[in-house]
Amino acid sequence: MPARLAHRTRPRSVVLGALALAASLALAACGTGGGGGGTDAATDSGAASNTLVIGMTATNIPLLDTTLSQNEGYEGIRFVGNQMFDALTRFDLSDPGKIPDVVPALAESWEPNEDLSVWTFKLRPGVTFHDGEPWNADAAMFNLDRIINDASPQYYPELNAQAGLAISGVQSARKVDDMTVEITTKGPWSHLPADLTTIFFGSPKAIQELGNDGFGKAPVGTGPFKFKEFVQGQRLVMDKNAEYWRGAPKVDSVILRPIPDPTARVAALRSGEVNWIEVPLPDDVESLESEGFTVHLNSYDHEWPWVLDTSKPPFDDKRVRQALNYAIDRDSLANDILQGTASPLPQAAAEANFAFRKENDTYTHDPEKAKALLAEAGYADGFTFRLSFPTSGSGNMVPIPMNEALQADLAEVGIKVELEPIEWAAMLQDFFVGNIPGGAEAINISLSYQQEGFWTSWYGTDAATNAGKYSNPEVDALFKEAKTIEDPAARSEVYAEASKLITDDAAWLFIVSDMNPRATAPSVKGFNMPKSWFVDLTGVSVGDGTASTDQ
Amino acid sequence: MIRFLLRRIGLAVPTLLGVSIVIFVTIRIVPGDPVASLLGPTGSAEARERLTKDLGLDAPIPVQYVKWLGNVVQGDLGRSIAKQTDALPYVWEAFRNTLTLSIFAALVAILGGIALGVLAATRRGRVASGFSTAVSLFSISAPQYSVGLILIVYLSAGRGWFPSGGMRNPTGDSGFGDLLNHLWLPGISAALVPLGIIARMVRSSMLDALSADFVESLRARGIPEWKVRWHAFHNALPSVLTIAGLQVGYLLGGVIFVEIVFSWPGLGLVVFQSISQRDLPVIQAGVLVSALAFVVINLIVDALHGLMDPRIRR
Repeated sequence: MPARLAHRTRPRSVVLGALALAASLALAACGTGGGGGGTDAATDSGAASNTLVIGMTATNIPLLDTTLSQNEGYEGIRFVGNQMFDALTRFDLSDPGKIPDVVPALAESWEPNEDLSVWTFKLRPGVTFHDGEPWNADAAMFNLDRIINDASPQYYPELNAQAGLAISGVQSARKVDDMTVEITTKGPWSHLPADLTTIFFGSPKAIQELGNDGFGKAPVGTGPFKFKEFVQGQRLVMDKNAEYWRGAPKVDSVILRPIPDPTARVAALRSGEVNWIEVPLPDDVESLESEGFTVHLNSYDHEWPWVLDTSKPPFDDKRVRQALNYAIDRDSLANDILQGTASPLPQAAAEANFAFRKENDTYTHDPEKAKALLAEAGYADGFTFRLSFPTSGSGNMVPIPMNEALQADLAEVGIKVELEPIEWAAMLQDFFVGNIPGGAEAINISLSYQQEGFWTSWYGTDAATNAGKYSNPEVDALFKEAKTIEDPAARSEVYAEASKLITDDAAWLFIVSDMNPRATAPSVKGFNMPKSWFVDLTGVSVGDGTASTDQ
Repeated sequence: MIRFLLRRIGLAVPTLLGVSIVIFVTIRIVPGDPVASLLGPTGSAEARERLTKDLGLDAPIPVQYVKWLGNVVQGDLGRSIAKQTDALPYVWEAFRNTLTLSIFAALVAILGGIALGVLAATRRGRVASGFSTAVSLFSISAPQYSVGLILIVYLSAGRGWFPSGGMRNPTGDSGFGDLLNHLWLPGISAALVPLGIIARMVRSSMLDALSADFVESLRARGIPEWKVRWHAFHNALPSVLTIAGLQVGYLLGGVIFVEIVFSWPGLGLVVFQSISQRDLPVIQAGVLVSALAFVVINLIVDALHGLMDPRIRR
């Protein structure tokens, strides 16, 4: 008993201390939290200081080092790569009504040789990096060597790996004179200028002085926005580059915030903490619009298909694949479940792909025709197959209700689909080497044609990522021919022809194309949503600070 | 006391080793690999092969483990594959954020839990007791994820009282008040389950203590009722402390759902993302740090126990 008495004071002091701490916390809370002073401040300072605050879908801020920015999916290229850096070429995103053309950026012009295997790029004069270093052939070569030349001291294997398909055609590069570089490709490579839109250039001086790690925390490019501050997991702050060669951006700064949960993202927009969000849920679109927010929609080069394994029954039979394509109700999926945030895809090419031709629209909702095709193929009583699908992941929209709706459509014509959910990372590993996870007969995946090379990657007979094992020698020949045609308009005719063949073959079940939904506060002006995954923020402005419009 | 603590610390080493082996092996058994997720659907076969080799992923798992362990002993937890930065500072920063959230949530849970538990034990059969039992039951069973979203929808987007997520205001001031403002909603969401558990523990321990013989004798001596209850509370504390310590330990492991809903840049979010990217070094570093935190919390609880109750100090 005495021992206990002697120790009585200690636990009491622990409890009392905790109480005191809690009380002080509570007091501090009343001082600042009461009445929501903090959130109002965010709204006001956003509008008054002309700051664009973007709620991204990514879980974290993307990497900041040039092309490594695509590590959080292509959202990183959209908001980090394209904003702080430039590439030799860029997509012209100024006209929302037209598929973006590839136009000069850090290169002023380019000229290929006869067979399109050696490309001479004239660099744009008078451009400087944010640290004042000049843009010239030495700077270009330093960056290109960093990506492709494993003999150079600055070679960065992860950067090479991440550059992926965009750099896959490049054999070598050399400096011709102070403002000219020459790139040699692996054979004819007509779409090199389009590929190079995501190969970004950083200041050689900054990269050398800071090293890869340091540069990744304080990057220096030539883009419309300059790096200002980076807080891991919380925000990236970029200030406008007043000397930008295309003209200074209208906003003073852009802040990126990762908000992975869609409901929280919409809430952040409603409470005024951000004035721009990516991908609101389809169900929120209508209410956001009625509250005065602008929901931006436009088609871009994206597809949400089921890739069918054409190497084994039942999908080795073209009629069965066509039957699937006739059995589903794309309009209802796009308008009811997705509330217009996606458009039906009745052919192989999305509307914003240059291979799209209206007359190639083939598949309508025609269950009778589907049944007839199935009967013809010997499946009058239907069949059962397994579909592997990721439950989330970049560009996958709302995969569970979407796949369930398709399952119901197919049941109407006697086809039973067993849905097998799989985690995105696990799915990618298989898809990457051209397999469908778990030996299923089909896989649902979200794909976007950021580079023309994707046509070959997905439908080419020998392509590593052709998970459906689709093969058509005529299509292969057209892809090969396209590599030798420089004029984009003429090339698009060839792809349109290939796309028509693929559509008729019903290589995949073509379903819908995403409309890239995003929402902005009424104070955000001057944004015209292009037919592209990418955005041009230079023309965007935020409020005038006189009226609080974010209520 | 010192020997008692040393023995506890000695036990922590095999615990951490075991945790590290389990996580090392399981994360390699599940399908998906870091190379595929880093390169995405657009990478080339050569790039994939080269990267696998560069990362040392072509070696057998035991070899990889021994190599990893050798580096850990020297304080090198490897390099994040997806983030291109050293894993330890990356994870450590996230852990500090989780620590902030956890301490706040623990305060809410412990103070709230004790208040509810004492109320339930001392007002048996009355409305107050029913109320506190209902609240503790609700807080244990309500899914954190949904509660978090409801708080966001009504208190943040609806009323604008609190920010909907993040840890700091990206445009305005970033002082303590700003942090606290961001702490309320995630803190309350994270505190719910431990609060309910602590409340129930306090209630049953208090009831036990109140029915003990010494309470009768205290009352017989005419000691005021509030003093009697204070004595009973003191006797109930050790078991409450054990439960509270465990709960704080769980909080420190990263409150994944809460961190996702509120975009709280903590360890749970980092590990969650690393799992989906198969960023092996970060997963290992993250799990190791949270296991270490768990062990340390338990050590502290044991030490506090020793201070409070001399019987276990051997």
